[in-house]
Parts: sequence; C-alpha cells; structure tokens
Amino acid sequence: MRPSIIIAAALAAGLTGSAHAQDAYVVGITAALTGPPASTYAPAMEALRIYIDGVNARGGINGKKVNLVIADDSAEPSKAAANAKKLLTQDNAALLINASLSSTYAPVVAEAKNAGVPLLFASSVCPREVYPPANEGQFCTTAFASTYDSRAALAFVKDTAKDTVKIGFSAMAIPLSRGEMEFAAKQAPLLGMVALPVEVIPPPTADYTPFATKLKDGGANWVFSWAPWVTQVRTFEALRRLDWKGDFITWAHLEAEGELKRIKDGKFFVIGANALFEDNLPIHKEIIEANKKAGSKYPPEQMTEGWIAGMVIEAALKGAGWPATPAKIQASMSNLKVDLKGLRGGPIEWTKDNHFRTKQFYRVYKWDGSKIVVAKDWYSYDVK
Amino acid sequence: MQLTVNIVVLASIYALIACGYVLIYRVSRVLNLAHGELMMLGAYLLLATANSFSGNPAVAIAVAVALSLTVGVMVYVFLMRKMTGEMVLAAVLTTVALGILLRGVMVLIWSAQQQYPGQALGFSNPAIALPGGGRISTFAAILVLMTALTYAALFVFLRFGTWGVRMRAAGQNPLLAAQRGINLHAVYALAWGLSTLTGSIAGMLIALDSGLTNTMVIIGLKAFPAALVGGLDSLVGALAGALIIAAAEVLSIQYIDPLLSDVVPFLVLIAMLVVRPWGLFGTREELDRV
Repeated sequence: MRPSIIIAAALAAGLTGSAHAQDAYVVGITAALTGPPASTYAPAMEALRIYIDGVNARGGINGKKVNLVIADDSAEPSKAAANAKKLLTQDNAALLINASLSSTYAPVVAEAKNAGVPLLFASSVCPREVYPPANEGQFCTTAFASTYDSRAALAFVKDTAKDTVKIGFSAMAIPLSRGEMEFAAKQAPLLGMVALPVEVIPPPTADYTPFATKLKDGGANWVFSWAPWVTQVRTFEALRRLDWKGDFITWAHLEAEGELKRIKDGKFFVIGANALFEDNLPIHKEIIEANKKAGSKYPPEQMTEGWIAGMVIEAALKGAGWPATPAKIQASMSNLKVDLKGLRGGPIEWTKDNHFRTKQFYRVYKWDGSKIVVAKDWYSYDVK
Repeated sequence: MQLTVNIVVLASIYALIACGYVLIYRVSRVLNLAHGELMMLGAYLLLATANSFSGNPAVAIAVAVALSLTVGVMVYVFLMRKMTGEMVLAAVLTTVALGILLRGVMVLIWSAQQQYPGQALGFSNPAIALPGGGRISTFAAILVLMTALTYAALFVFLRFGTWGVRMRAAGQNPLLAAQRGINLHAVYALAWGLSTLTGSIAGMLIALDSGLTNTMVIIGLKAFPAALVGGLDSLVGALAGALIIAAAEVLSIQYIDPLLSDVVPFLVLIAMLVVRPWGLFGTREELDRV
C-alpha cells in the first residue's frame, strides 16, 4: 500500500463522521491494502481514490462531494467485518465497497444486508449472487468472471491451435482458482482437447519448477492458468526454463501489461476484459494524466479496475439524486448503464436481475517482437 | 534427472534458510520466528540497492549483503539483548512481534507488488542444460553453490575459528563461557548477524531467480520443518532435514498430488517428532531444555 492511501485512509477515518454524511455522499470501503494479496487491490483502490478526487474537484455529484472512507482489512475476515460495521454504523456509509479476498465476503455481506446498504464488489471477484437472478443488494464491476473466463480462453485456444491440443491447467490452491480450472478441465474435452489433470499449486511456493516439470512431462502443448498473477507467471517462467515450447494462456490481471513487456514471449497470451494501455485511448491518456498529477507510484496500467469502479459509482450516485438514501442508491444501481469509453468491450449494464453485466467481453493480447498486439479482438458472451 | 535437479534446488533453498534458525537456536536457544521476514527484508534491501546502484550490480549486491548482516546485529543489539535473562518464551514472542512489524514496514516502503531485482540489476536468468537432460536456471544453480559454500564456511568457522569456538562454547554452557571471559553479547550479536545474512542471501537469490513479493515470508516458514526434522541444534541436521523435506515435497508433486506438497513437510515432521523428537542429528539434551 502506498503512503498516500494510508494517509487518505487515516484522514478519512479521522475526519469523516456522521456530520459529514449529511452533506456528502459517504462511500465506505473495506479493502486488502496490506497482506499477501494487496498487489491486486491496492492499485485499484488508489485509482478509485484518484477518480473520486477528480469528481470532487469538478464540483462533486449533484452538487455534493463524495467522501471515500477507506479501511484496510489485510484480507482478514475478522477485520473486514469490523470495518464494515464501523463504516455502516459510525460513518453512515450509503454505499459499501468490498475490495478484498472472497473469504471476507460473508461477514461484509451480512453487515451490509443488516444495514440495508448496497454492496459493490470492485476489483474483487464477483460472487455468484450478482449473476442472474441477482441478489437485490449486491453488485460487481470486476473484470473477471468465473466459468465465462474459461469458456473464452478455451475458445481462443481452439481457434488458435493448429495441432491437436493437449492442455494442462495451473491453479493456485484457493477455492476460486481451483474451481475454475476444474471447470475448464471438464470443458476442454467437449471442445476436442485432451485435458491433463489440474496442477494445484500451494501459495506461495519456493520453486515452481517441480510443478512445471509435471506439466511438461504430461505432454502439454498448451497450458491455461487462472490464478493470482504470481502463480500464473511463475508457472510459465518455470516451464520456459525447462525448455517447454508450448503456448500459455492466462488471465490478464492488473500486472499483465507490464509483464508482457518484461517477458517478451510470443506464445504467452493474456486474456482479459479490460483494454490494455497499448491501445492508447483518450481515457487511457486521462488516467495517465490523473495518475501523474496525483503522484501515484502505481503504474497507470494497473488502474483500470479502480477507474471503472469510480465511473460506475459516479453514475450510480448521480442517478440516486440528493439526498441519497441507501435504498435510492440501490434502485439507481439496479437500472444502470455506464459507457466505459473503451476501457472494456462494452458498457456495464445492470438490471433488476443482473448485477454483473449483460454481456461479458474478452480480448486476447500477446507480445509480438517489439510491442503488445491484439491476438484476438473483442468477442462476447451473453450473461444469463 | 530433472527430478533430482528439482530436489537439489528445493533442498538448497530450505537448507540455506534453515541454517539461520539453527545458528540462533544453537547459540541462544531462541526460536527466531521472524527469520522469514528477515529473509524477505534482505531481498528488499537488494531491490533498494539495485535501484540505487543499477549501473554497478557488484556494489549493489555487496551493499545489500553488508546491510543484511548489519540488520541482524542491530536486531540483537536493540531488541533481543533486552531479552537476555528473560524466559525463552518471551524472546520467542518478541521475534513474533518483530516479524509482524517488519512485514508491515516492508509493505509500506516497497508495496505489495511483484518486483524484479534481477531486472533492476540488468541480470538475465537463462537456463543451463545439464548432463542427463536436466535443466536449471542460472540463479538456482548459484543458489545451490551458495548453499554448499555457506555450509562449508560455517563448518570451518565453527570448528576452527576463534569466534566460532566461542559461539559453540556459549551455546553449550553460557555461564561457563562467560566465566572464561567470552563476551556473550558479542557472540549472540554475531549469531544474529550471520543468521540474518544467510537468510537474506537465500531471499536475494530466490528473488533474483523468480521475483519478489511479500508472500516470500511464508517460504521462510516452510523451511522450519527442515530444521526441526534435522535437529534444531545441528547444521548437518539442517542439511539432511532440508534434503528429506525437499525430496518428500518434489516426489509428492510428481507422483501423488501437487496439493500434497504443502502438507508433506509437516507429515514428515510429525513422523519425526513421534519417532525421534530431537530430530535426526539433534541432541536429546537440547530437547529436554526446550
């Protein structure tokens, strides 16, 4: 976590109270700003803070400022529960955000439900409850989507492979990653591929070579990994050190763009729902500018998730009007369409029954000698 | 052949880390539960020096190594020295607190992001083809060599070096050693310095081989069973324990279930505690003291 976030969190915690809640939109955040998975969440929350600072600088929403109250939960359920209780009862948050591990969800969901406050998952994995038929109080902006991601990745492999595909799977030993890879291993034979058993790698591991050895010995010519970035990239690099020549497809986490440039391997594909900054869209320039102005130490290409969350929160609060009650914000979120200006393949659209998005878009990137290129342009799946 | 290479590399990692646990325990009977954090701190120090001396990798590494040694000595001088004469449990709990503090400070300074000190130093890490078809990365090979060198140096130091003999004396009978004029505080400080240094070298080489995140601390803890299986007061034991744990882990990945690799070290440890609680090369007397 950056000192700027800590200071912001401390100031927010110290200055924001119920009095503030009356003249500003109060948005409470419990996030894993420290702890092992912080690299996934801290840059996103930094981006969200920068985005909301920009909104406030432009006069706020409906003439009112937005107060972000950020609390660090270190990815620990007990801390997340305490944060949620404090944010809802002391800070009077009208919207609660979870940006942490899935193990923190249950207590945070319970607190939000008791308080009747809508809960947004931003940069953290979307829970089942946001997919149709959605739970009325839970929403999600995060790019990755279990089962859809595997279907999209395997479709790409099928389209790209010239020979018979013998595919290996690499997961981290956490329920979400393991479940997704087991799903993919079942899907692959339906697409005519030979699926190897899933390699479940404990976090963290001193040396990934033994796991890579097993994948290589299994004869895989493709490997698919859907796990935290460290597992994905270290499995790949260990495979290459073993002189494995196959193709590797993996999820485009926040780190993907920088890592594609570092690894420089034409057979290392990243599949994701966010456009990389290599596209150089106007909104990318906007993020780079805001990032520079804020003096953030996180690279701008890691800020897309937080920026999207900011855009969605702005739209939701705008739709709720002023004064905004949690019920009004929830109603606004249940009928929302946000143009992401190219950050994704399509808008985020929430309906009464769908709090994920109606279409999930994917794009595949790879390194091509001197730069990052699109290996497969936007393609989508209807979310039903 | 690759299986053998994998076992040797993992055993070297565990052995290099485990000797830090042994050095401190052997001299002062303190279990240093901040060893993983100190190891990670060494890796982050390399990252810091790599950024400061990016044009001169040798200087960056030398400064990081010197800083690691200094940090170990400082930990003793400013923290653990106060624990002298207190219950061993108090000292162990102090190391737990130190670990928590270090973890927080490291995230604040260097963030939780994946970092690559090797890239900052301009190093590449090509794989080396070995006879028999095995392959090993350059930094993994250096790690194996460094572990061998470290253990050889420690054996010579402890057997023939003046300060090494003093360390052994202080470990065997601190009262008698003090009465013979050995400066116990200096000996303990040296043990902490050397322990942190060896752990830091492991951390630096792991980071150079595969990158650095704040989860490295757990790798430090995974080496703990190796020290216990071998016997907490024996360097030979740490070496043997590391080899056993690494073999069990790699073979379970290859032939049983990769997921078991997380559990197997502790199964081996439990089996050892049942059969020979003082470890393979540990002494029964030492266990009684625990």
